Amino acid sequence: MTADDVVLSCRDLAVGYDRPVLAHIDLEVRRGEICALLGGSGSGKSTLLRTIIGLQPPLAGEVFVLGESMYGLAGDERGRLLRRTGTAFQQDALFGSMTIADNVALPLRELTRLPEPVIGEMVRMRLARVGLAGLEHRRPAQLSGGQRKRAALARASILDPELMFCDEPSAGLDPVVAAGIDATLLEFRAALGITLVVVTHELASIRAIADRAVMFADGELRASGTIDELSRSRDPDVYGFFHRVADQGATPNGRRALAT
Amino acid sequence: MESPATTVERDGRSTVVRLRGDLVIRGASELYATLRAAARRRDTARLVLDFAEAGRIDSSGVAVVGLIRRQLAHGGKQLTLAGLGEQHRAALALAPEGSSASEPVQVPGPLVAMMARFGEHVIELGKSLAAFGALAADVARQAAAVVLRRGRMPAGALRYHIEAMGVDAIFIVGLLSFLTGMTMAFQGAVQLQRFGAGVFVADMVGVSMVRELVPLMTAVIVTGRTGAAIAAELGTMRVRSEIDALATMGIRPVRFLIVPRLLAITMIGPALTLIGIFIGILGGMVVAAATLDMPPVTFWSRVAERVTLFDFVHGVGKSVVFAWIIGLSGSHLGMRASGDAGSVGTATTRTVVTSVFLIIVVDAVFATLSTFGRSG
Repeated sequence: MTADDVVLSCRDLAVGYDRPVLAHIDLEVRRGEICALLGGSGSGKSTLLRTIIGLQPPLAGEVFVLGESMYGLAGDERGRLLRRTGTAFQQDALFGSMTIADNVALPLRELTRLPEPVIGEMVRMRLARVGLAGLEHRRPAQLSGGQRKRAALARASILDPELMFCDEPSAGLDPVVAAGIDATLLEFRAALGITLVVVTHELASIRAIADRAVMFADGELRASGTIDELSRSRDPDVYGFFHRVADQGATPNGRRALAT
Repeated sequence: MESPATTVERDGRSTVVRLRGDLVIRGASELYATLRAAARRRDTARLVLDFAEAGRIDSSGVAVVGLIRRQLAHGGKQLTLAGLGEQHRAALALAPEGSSASEPVQVPGPLVAMMARFGEHVIELGKSLAAFGALAADVARQAAAVVLRRGRMPAGALRYHIEAMGVDAIFIVGLLSFLTGMTMAFQGAVQLQRFGAGVFVADMVGVSMVRELVPLMTAVIVTGRTGAAIAAELGTMRVRSEIDALATMGIRPVRFLIVPRLLAITMIGPALTLIGIFIGILGGMVVAAATLDMPPVTFWSRVAERVTLFDFVHGVGKSVVFAWIIGLSGSHLGMRASGDAGSVGTATTRTVVTSVFLIIVVDAVFATLSTFGRSG
């Protein structure tokens, strides 16, 4: 593995607000893989994501994105780095005053000098690809939750980022829509070579898309590996997560499994 | 124009474009210009895009190919893609299959679009007026239920809103009334002294403060402070589905949210007006004493002599109507906010504009009716 193969690297990272919610995080994501960041509610995975994408300075350690130190850069330099990434937020973060087409076209209009016909074609193609053909002129408020999530994915991917972050892309959606979003993410990886870092706790999505997963619990990185490896883990928190066992500290032989 | 990485060759009725280098955003404009020029040539029946020496293609390259394909099809021409690599095929697969998905949306002409917008505004105005009427009727029913003790408001809500809307506004209303009274007295003193009629400053300040200036000025201040706040609060609650949550709990949002606000504003509108009237006349008195050497007792006795009970009823009565206008406008427009943060801003702005407009219209109606009433 060469240095170029690593597109995201966290070194002894501590994240949080007043005090760390996660500490001593060492993490690497390789080009072309889909890496899931797992953890229960409040485990700090979304805070970690905010730190990785430059929104929340780390309490300690460093974040390297596409080979560059996120917090070693400032202003335009960090802006240039962020343009090589895309982020789909948990709450879609679409601009309510704009149509869906304008939301998706925003990065193209602001960051490139592409002719308007090409921008229009890119937007139509991407919206059609995520299943929103014909809804270009609707506003976010006129779409369902699943449609808004897909529009957010379209916007995050419109510049063909090398690295894309998705925070809970299929949370709260029905299984069919969630499966559609998973398929879209796999398609982006296959067609555009996008590396994906996905924050989620949807087991079905994790099994469907992730090559590798990293699990956080009790303020630390608890386990890392392929989905099969994590599924077989004897760590109580990892076992509880993958086998849906109630209560912290559940063991494979101990607490009652709610479902499998 | 030909991009440096591509070459264009003729082969009978075909034009062959040999693509070189990465087909990515950085060179997409040049690529589009090159292909469009080739596609527009009259002697071209078929355009061949040779990808054999092309590098990576991204979404912008795929979009350019899609656009050119459609432009060629429109002119009855063909597009052939040759030498495609694996990455090219995978990326080109991102373009939607079939024509319906990739056809651009037909945008209506400017005249049709303008008429459509006008029609939408008319329909929206009709719906808004109907909703306003329904809300006013519901508010009246719910307020009657509260007054007759058949229904309850949230505990402490009335007191909270009276404090927020009224007590906190006393200083600004008082200050502006005092300054207005002073200004009126200054202006009046200068003009009336020329005719030896300076003593009538008290009459002028008293009548104008009681009948017109203070009720109108107070209403504008309350619109900016309270009306906008009502719209923003209710709009935010609507966007955050809090009003839906109330409804699903079986709690009437109008009784829970709007009636306390309307009862509070009905009380604080006239109260602030009365306070403003007193302080405004006080401002006039200070100026009269300073510039005309008019003793305060003389000033107040002239005011009491000139300002009638009818003037007070006129001014304070107006302030009640103004308060209802502000409260109902804010409530109505706040409740109609939907979907996003922008709609809350729109509701707030519309509340201020609508309230001020209606206040001035109603003020004109009051002035006309009272004039005819007196002359009749």
